Amino acid sequence: MADSILVSAQGLTKVYNRGTEEVRALDGVTFDLQRGEFTAVVGVSGAGKTTLLHLLGCMDTPTSGELLIDGQSTRGLSDSALTRMRREQVGFVFQHFGLLPTLTVMENLTLPTLFSKKEAKAYANELLERVGLTHRRNHLPNQLSGGEMQRVAIARALINRPQVLLADEPTGNLDSANGEAILQLFHQLHRDGLTIIVVTHNPILANATQRQLVLHDGRLVP
Amino acid sequence: MSFIKLSLQNMLRRKLRTSVTLTGVAVAVAALFSLLAFQRGYQTGMRDELDRLGAHVLVVPKGCPYDAASTALHGASWPCYLKYAYLEQVRKTRGVSVAAPVFMNALYEANGNQTVYLGINDDIRMVKRAWSIEGSLPVKTGDILLGAAAAKSLHVQRGQEFDLPGLEGAKGRVCGLLATTQGADDNFLYMPLADAQRLFNRQGQLTHILVRLQDPNSLEDVVGALRACEAGMDMNIVPLTHLFRTIQSMVNSTRLLLGCIALVALLVAGAGVSNTVLMAVTERTREIGVMRSVGASMGDIFRLIWMETVQICLLGGVVGVAVALVGAQSLEGWLRNRLPFAPTGTLIHPEVSIMVACLAGAALLGSLAGLLPAWRASRLSPVEAIRAT
Repeated sequence: MADSILVSAQGLTKVYNRGTEEVRALDGVTFDLQRGEFTAVVGVSGAGKTTLLHLLGCMDTPTSGELLIDGQSTRGLSDSALTRMRREQVGFVFQHFGLLPTLTVMENLTLPTLFSKKEAKAYANELLERVGLTHRRNHLPNQLSGGEMQRVAIARALINRPQVLLADEPTGNLDSANGEAILQLFHQLHRDGLTIIVVTHNPILANATQRQLVLHDGRLVP
Repeated sequence: MSFIKLSLQNMLRRKLRTSVTLTGVAVAVAALFSLLAFQRGYQTGMRDELDRLGAHVLVVPKGCPYDAASTALHGASWPCYLKYAYLEQVRKTRGVSVAAPVFMNALYEANGNQTVYLGINDDIRMVKRAWSIEGSLPVKTGDILLGAAAAKSLHVQRGQEFDLPGLEGAKGRVCGLLATTQGADDNFLYMPLADAQRLFNRQGQLTHILVRLQDPNSLEDVVGALRACEAGMDMNIVPLTHLFRTIQSMVNSTRLLLGCIALVALLVAGAGVSNTVLMAVTERTREIGVMRSVGASMGDIFRLIWMETVQICLLGGVVGVAVALVGAQSLEGWLRNRLPFAPTGTLIHPEVSIMVACLAGAALLGSLAGLLPAWRASRLSPVEAIRAT
């Protein structure tokens, strides 16, 4: 059973210092996520959802507590080790897409392979086909709609074949039709066995997941 | 996709800003390139010119030795003269191999053209060893040996009689044509020494004496002996190596000053590049965060920003060198009018080694200027960068 746990958070706490003020963004959050699980992290603004996502994505380290991804603890890891985990284990999708404006769709999609030094041209074509943007491969981001940009961002997050896909408000900047298309794409990826964690305010998206983690004032609501 | 392509695209994102920054580097590199090319050209030209003179020592009338040397090299009228009798004393000085007497005078026409006449004798062949003459030296009265450029402008052939320019009623016969020397000798008209003294009413006078030594290593001793001879107080003994060194040190002083200015310009340009890239880093903080989130390491970000700076400086260097090459001729004309001892050869001497040095300098400048923005960009925390607005 333990082998099926992909993400294990044990008492995750994150404290920010803003001047003299101490802000406890996460406070002793503990949970396990199974492989292939589709999970939503919900809560009001300032509840600590994005902070949790950043910790899960190895973008930041907890002040205390422990996070294990695929059995490997992130505690005490150097920046280069965290970078390697981001590169190999995690795929990130942002609310604002995070596409580089000077790069074409294909170049944006393959950007992570520049850093991982992996050859993934064939897989990039496959992903592009999967998100239905083969005909847009040479377009720049400003020539795409919001939904198309988000699909490129999702494809980019998958290019290094991550264990877990993390999405921060993936439908937050989209209209309902595009939001629905992104939801369908997540369902498809979930059916293929991918572990997905989405931070969302969108109840439709949250209700479509298998499990919801509700955060309030940095604590997990039971 | 490669780092080079990515950094190039970033560089081209703000074309106007990049162009202004690049222009700063280009101006500094163009100044540096021109300075080095001028220094090389001047040095080479001066050495060639003194070599063409063929003498180790120049004996001239009392006065400024540099003016006298410049006049002897380029041709002009002299304000004062040596007595012909001094020639014997020079010849008798221990260590002197050849002492060739010269009488020089220049005549100016109303249209501004200048004709330089030189009175010489056979001894000149022992000094001007590189001369190649079609025909003979001027020996008989009326004989004229023409420099290559003079023959071309006068349109005369060997054996032809012609009116001597500027000397009304005087005629000469072309006894020989001097092959081009690539120097001032090409412009001169040579005649027997006695003819020149007579035509210019300077019997028994010389303008200068070209001296070759038996052993160039004994220069100091011979110069001392010449200064100590009876006529020593009435002559200026100018060792050409000393002259070369003195002029070169004057040029070096100027070069040092200009070099400092070029260096300051380079540093200012480097600071400009650094500032531009720092601004770009601030603007692109969020993109840097995105790249960090998709797997870019601190080293990758450093490399990317650093390459961008190096590219701007290298491109600026290429533009600067190109501008300097295109403007070399204009600069040469401008300089020539302002430098009293400028040699006749090319003053601006662009060489591949200078180009390579300038481009390497630009790359080094970029490498140093890129350190701060690259370091700052690489130190950005992924989370802080992602949150940047």
